[in-house]
Amino acid sequence: MNAAPAPRSASAAPPSERVASFAALLRDHGLTVGVAEQQAMLQASLLFGPLQEKPLQAAWRAIACHSHREWKLWPDVYERFWHPEKLRGGVKVSGQTRPGRNLRQSVQALHEQMDAAPSASRPGTQQGNQPTALHTAGDQALAQQDPNDAGSPRAQGGASRTEALHPRDGQMWMPQELGELQKLARQITAKLQARNTRRWRVAARGERLDLRQTLRRSVGWGGELLQPAWKIKRQEPPRLFILADVSRSMESHAALFLRVARAFALEADARVFVFHTRLAEVTPLMHRDTPVIQEKVNAVTAGFGGGTRIAASLQDFARHHARAQLNRGARVWVFSDGFDTDAPELLAAALQEVRARGARISWFHPTRQVPAAGALQKARGLIERFVPLASLADLAAARAVLN
Amino acid sequence: MSLPDRAAQPANAERLLRERLQRAGYLADEDLATTVWLASALQRPLLIEGDAGVGKTALATALAQSYGEHGEQGATLVRLQCFEGLDLSQAAYEWNYGRQLMAIRLSEATPGGAAKVRESDVFSRDYLLERPLLRAISQTGPCVLLIDEIDRADEAFEAFLLEVLADYQITVPEIGTLRATHIPQVILTSNGTRELSDALRRRCLYHYLDYPTLAREIAIVKSALPEADTRLVEEAVQFVQRLRREDLAKIPGIAETLDWVRALFHMQYHSLPEDLSAVLGTLACLLKTREDRFMMGPDRLRQLVEGRRSVGVAEKGPDAAQAVA
Repeated sequence: MNAAPAPRSASAAPPSERVASFAALLRDHGLTVGVAEQQAMLQASLLFGPLQEKPLQAAWRAIACHSHREWKLWPDVYERFWHPEKLRGGVKVSGQTRPGRNLRQSVQALHEQMDAAPSASRPGTQQGNQPTALHTAGDQALAQQDPNDAGSPRAQGGASRTEALHPRDGQMWMPQELGELQKLARQITAKLQARNTRRWRVAARGERLDLRQTLRRSVGWGGELLQPAWKIKRQEPPRLFILADVSRSMESHAALFLRVARAFALEADARVFVFHTRLAEVTPLMHRDTPVIQEKVNAVTAGFGGGTRIAASLQDFARHHARAQLNRGARVWVFSDGFDTDAPELLAAALQEVRARGARISWFHPTRQVPAAGALQKARGLIERFVPLASLADLAAARAVLN
Repeated sequence: MSLPDRAAQPANAERLLRERLQRAGYLADEDLATTVWLASALQRPLLIEGDAGVGKTALATALAQSYGEHGEQGATLVRLQCFEGLDLSQAAYEWNYGRQLMAIRLSEATPGGAAKVRESDVFSRDYLLERPLLRAISQTGPCVLLIDEIDRADEAFEAFLLEVLADYQITVPEIGTLRATHIPQVILTSNGTRELSDALRRRCLYHYLDYPTLAREIAIVKSALPEADTRLVEEAVQFVQRLRREDLAKIPGIAETLDWVRALFHMQYHSLPEDLSAVLGTLACLLKTREDRFMMGPDRLRQLVEGRRSVGVAEKGPDAAQAVA
């Protein structure tokens, strides 16, 4: 390339103004470009001169970008501002630009809009607290059930203004729901009782003097023990293992289970396993969140048949996968409906094996009642608690019992 | 801010820098060379992010080496490897307590010596143990300070770094502020395991180092292993480039490519064998986790060698593929 086409700055406006408007565009795209960055950009253009476009662009990129996201965004924004003519078939953008929205974000925005609608327009909130004409039979029934709740959103012709987010069983997830799930996972993780270990760690205040550290510190004071160091018992959070049933009978719940499992994998560093007729660990997949991984998880959860071998999977888990980590205080959470193709007594034996290591077992079932499966009934004594888990609300309710 | 003389002809300076780096064994692309040159011209630290094995640390070592050509004095490379729990006494300075005590005891031993000892005597530069940061700003000649894997250090340490990176000075309460006599060229690297603070990012120039293109990686391998067959280098690099597009837990970097080509070269291969199962053992140079090894079975490897990315039921055998070609 010969002398690169000079950025438009040369002809139209003073360079500083062009740089300032370019900086404004960068800011619109979320880049942090303040006065210091603009000064550095001008300094770079003085160094390279307006004819050296390629190095100048590289220099500006180094100055204006501060993260990988911005680094990837740069070529597009740069071309759009300095070379709009190159963007054939593109639309020239003027005024304030907004990032594009995908369908999920649009739906989310719609919900937010509806929430923000003035409460006066809601039926039943007019003066005198007289309910207005009800729209549907569903509304009537609702009003009869709870006449005092005048301000609550009502159903309209089959559609409801109440967010049907929670009971949707993990089919589709909004960003706010994912945030809520993560928050719940954090709260539950915080409630899991940490266990004192035999080791000690240095702390600002403690119950026991750390003699070694105190003597080391005393060197600076000529051997005088002026700065005592203390130590306290080191606590370890319990190891959490999640075993999610992804067999055919659980197909509709697997998405929710894996979402919940992922939240705990991130928050509590849980190890996550899936099982149907065999057991497989998916923890590494849970820590990465790319479309490819999502496909993989979907592939794991979809299309399984041939029954569920819970007992065999649990045995495999206790004997091989978690052999070294199943200790006193470990928590094993099984997400399953309890329907097992193995012999009923085998499940009790497998759970006994896990209990023998000191681990505490909780059973999360997608039904309201404790599953009536024979195998599960036989092993009831080995399971610390049964927790229904069919929606986010169930998990929120489980906060009180999990510890 | 005063700019160095070589700023008069930046294009030339940048080309020279690229050549110097090349002689030091590092092939930098134009953008990277521009950024490194700009960092030295503006006296700003350079933050380099990128996956492990793309050559972030190698850039700093090559840069330090590149100063030592044409009889010039070589730059000192001061490296600070960050880790969780890194504190001031390990990164910047620590008082040499033992020496201080000895000095006090010695002076006490001489008659009337105890009265002569003043506090400033034992709290001077002589009794200060220099750790990497202080060593870097105390250099009188050119110096490259490499702060490696800054994302592993704590946020508190990151905050401490701000003073060093913005003003090239360290404040020692007992002595005062120690300013750099010769501004070191600072290179920070990060693997992105933790989000760095905005304050730190804004004090640095930024460059994201991606995996090299095919042509550049071939050039890198050739310059590192000139004795290897060109065909072997080209085929091996092409294979690694395809391997990077796979969904691996640990994507092989340039260092891994070099290791693998070196291994193949020592096994006296002149080109990549048709059937990769013969060199399956050498793949330990590229694939570093059990899952990746499991995923890359002989069949998948054959497909990669043949260059077909789609895997389906109606997959053609090697004979059919050759017939089509």
